[in-house]
Amino acid sequence: MKRVFITGMGVISAIGNTVTENHSALKNGVCGITTTADPVAGSIHVPLAAVSLDNELLRKKLQVHDPAVTRTTLLALHAFREAVQDAGLTAEELNSDRTALIGGTTVGGMSQADELYRDVSQRYTDSPFLSSYDCSSVFMFLQESHRMEGIVDTINTACSSAANAIGYGTRLIRSGLAKRAIVGGADSLSKFTISGFKALHILSPEICRPFDRHRQGLNLGEGAAFLVLEGEEEIPTHKKVYAEVKGYFNSSDAFHPTSLSADGEGPHLAMQGALNAAGLNASEVDFINAHGTATENNDESESKAMIRVFGEPPPFISTKSNTGHTLGAAAAVEAVYSLLSLAHQEIYPSLHFSQGIPGLDLHPVTSYRRCPLRHVMSNSFGFGGNCVSLIFSKS
Amino acid sequence: MLYIHQAVCISPQDTFHSFDATRVHPPVGNKLVVREPSYEGIPRNLLRRMGKAVRMGTGASVPVLRLAPRPVSGFIVGTGNGGTEDSYKFLEQINEYGEEMLTPGSFSQSTSNVIASQLSQMDRNRGYNMTHVHRGLAFEMALQDAMLLSAEDEAAYYLLTGVDELSASNFALDDMEGWYPPGTIAGEGAAAFLVSGHPQDAIVGVRAVATLHSSDVEVVSGRLKNFLSTHLPLGEDITVLITGENGDARLRHYYEACEEMINSKAPLLHFKRYCGEYPTATSFALWLTYHRLSQEKNDLIQNYLIYNTYKGRQHSFILLTGISR
Repeated sequence: MKRVFITGMGVISAIGNTVTENHSALKNGVCGITTTADPVAGSIHVPLAAVSLDNELLRKKLQVHDPAVTRTTLLALHAFREAVQDAGLTAEELNSDRTALIGGTTVGGMSQADELYRDVSQRYTDSPFLSSYDCSSVFMFLQESHRMEGIVDTINTACSSAANAIGYGTRLIRSGLAKRAIVGGADSLSKFTISGFKALHILSPEICRPFDRHRQGLNLGEGAAFLVLEGEEEIPTHKKVYAEVKGYFNSSDAFHPTSLSADGEGPHLAMQGALNAAGLNASEVDFINAHGTATENNDESESKAMIRVFGEPPPFISTKSNTGHTLGAAAAVEAVYSLLSLAHQEIYPSLHFSQGIPGLDLHPVTSYRRCPLRHVMSNSFGFGGNCVSLIFSKS
Repeated sequence: MLYIHQAVCISPQDTFHSFDATRVHPPVGNKLVVREPSYEGIPRNLLRRMGKAVRMGTGASVPVLRLAPRPVSGFIVGTGNGGTEDSYKFLEQINEYGEEMLTPGSFSQSTSNVIASQLSQMDRNRGYNMTHVHRGLAFEMALQDAMLLSAEDEAAYYLLTGVDELSASNFALDDMEGWYPPGTIAGEGAAAFLVSGHPQDAIVGVRAVATLHSSDVEVVSGRLKNFLSTHLPLGEDITVLITGENGDARLRHYYEACEEMINSKAPLLHFKRYCGEYPTATSFALWLTYHRLSQEKNDLIQNYLIYNTYKGRQHSFILLTGISR
C-alpha cells in the first residue's frame, strides 16, 4: 500500500498561535483555560479556552476584510497558511487538481449564532452571513481564496471530525485520487455549542481534570489545525518529513446519541482497528494522546478500552487539559501535538490530575519527560459513538 | 466500479413504494415538500424525537437495510444541512427562555451526524460511520467514500444515504440570497442505496464521480470533457442525460454547455421537477436512474450521465451504467 507522510503542520489554539508557541506551552504545562466571563457564552458562566487573537486582530493579520468570513474560518485560515508554508507547497501545487482539501468542523459558521437568529427571525436581507452558517463555508473559503482545483470535502462526525478528515485524506492519496491532501479541522467558541453542552450537563464548572476521579466535565475551547499529507513518491529525498500516517480506523459505538458504552466497545474497536491497519502489536505503541475530555463517561469508557487493548496502557496524556475541547478541530490539534512528541522525542504533562478513577486507576503522565517514541496513537470519540484512532509513526 | 443493489427514496413524489413518472405532484407555491411514509420499522418513541432530516434519512435507510443479504459494513451519509429546523429551534430556546430552561433534544437532533449514528444504534452496527456535509457536493463525497471502501473490500456492503430537509430557516436564508427566482422550486428528500464492489444482483454500476469548484463555464466543460474521455469506454455513448436544471437563468449556461457536449440523441431529463432544489438532490437523480434501469430488461448498453451544479459554484458529474441481468 502507498505510504503517506506528513510534511507540514499548522495550529492555533488557546495555548498559542503557531506550532512553535504551542510546543513551548506544552513543554511548560501552560493551561489556556480561563474562568473569566466570555461574552460569547451569554449568561452561561463556565471556564472556556479562547484563542488570544480577537476577530479584529485575526482579520488584520490575515488581511481578510470580507465581513462574511466567520471566526471559525479565520482560525482555519491561520492554521492552513502555517501548514502550507511549513510544507513549502508552491502556489502551483496548491492549485493542482491533485491536491485535496479535507476539513472537519462541527460549529462551522454557527459561530455567528446570534446573527443567524436575527437573519431568520427578522428576515434581515442585509446580512453578510446568509451563506456562511453551514460547516462547508469554512473550507469553501479556503478553496476559493487559494484557487484549489482538487477534491474539497467537509466532514462532520462531531468531536472526531478532524480525525476522519485525516483518515479520508490518507485514503484519497492511497487510492490515487490525490497526490497530496491538506487535512484538518476548525471550530470556534459559539453560544450555540456552549448552550448545547450546557443542556447536556457535561460542562465542568471548574477547570477540567482529565482521568481524575473528581472530574466534573469538559471545558469548551477553540482552535484550528492542518496537516499536509503527501504520497511517498511526491516527496523529494531532502524534504522534511514529520512522520507517517500508519493507521486509521473508524468504528461506531452503536450505543447512545451522546454517551459512550460503559465497557468502551467503540473506543476498543477503533484502537484495535488502527493497530491492525498499521500492522502493529499493542506493545509497540509508545504513547497515547487520549481523547480524555474529562467527562464522567468518556474517561471511564476510554480507560476501560485502553485496558482491554493494552493490558497495561503505555504513557498517555490528555491535552484537553491545556486547550479545552476544541470539538471538530480537536483531532487535528492533537495530531500536531502527537507529531511534536514524535519529532522531539518527548511527552508533555497532562494537567490538573491528582487521583485515578477508582477501580481503574490509570495515571496520565503529569510531568515533562524525554523518551524514545516510535509509534504514537491519538484517539478521538464523537457524539453518536463515532470512534476514531490514528497512529503516527516515526519515518 | 461501485454497484447499487437496492434503493429506496422518500421524495415529494410517490417514490417510496412505486413510482409513475407520468403522475407528478406539482409544487405548492415554490416548494416541493416530501410525501412522508408511515415509517414502519422505526420505533415510535424514536420517531417522535426525530427532526425531519433524521426521520427521512433513517426512514429511507431502514427498508434498504432489511433487503441486505448480510449485515452492512457501515453507514455513509451525505447531508448539506443536517437538521436545520432543530438548529433554529435550539436558537429560539436560547433566545426566548435562557440557559436555565435549555433541553438538549433539538441540539442533539441538529448535529449532522445524528442520522448515521441513529442508524448504527438501530442496527447495532459497529462498522464504519461517516457523515459528509460539503454543501452541494455532500452526497457526491459520500458516494466517492463508498467507492473507495468498495474498492478496498469488494465483498462488503455499505449503506449510502443522501438527505436534506426543507425547513423554514434554510428556505428563508436561500430565499433572501435570491436562490428561488420565479420558476425555481425548493425541495427536499432522502434516498438510500445498498452498495458494494461486486456486480451480483446489481442494477446500476457507478463508473465514476467527479467534483469541482468553479464559476467559470469553460473550466466546467473542460473538466467534463476530460471526465468522459477518461471514464466512458471507447465506442460507447451517453444514452440518457440527467441534469439539475432548476429554472434559474443564472445557471442555465452551465447546463447548456453540458448538453452541447453530449450525444444529441440522448434523452434529456430534468430531475428537479420531481424533487426540487436541495444540496443533496443528486441522490434523487441516482435513485431515478436506479428506478428506470430496474424497470427495464434489455441487453443494450445504457450509460447515464448526471450533471448538477449547486449555486453555480459546485459542480458534479456522475457516470452510471446499467448492469445486464
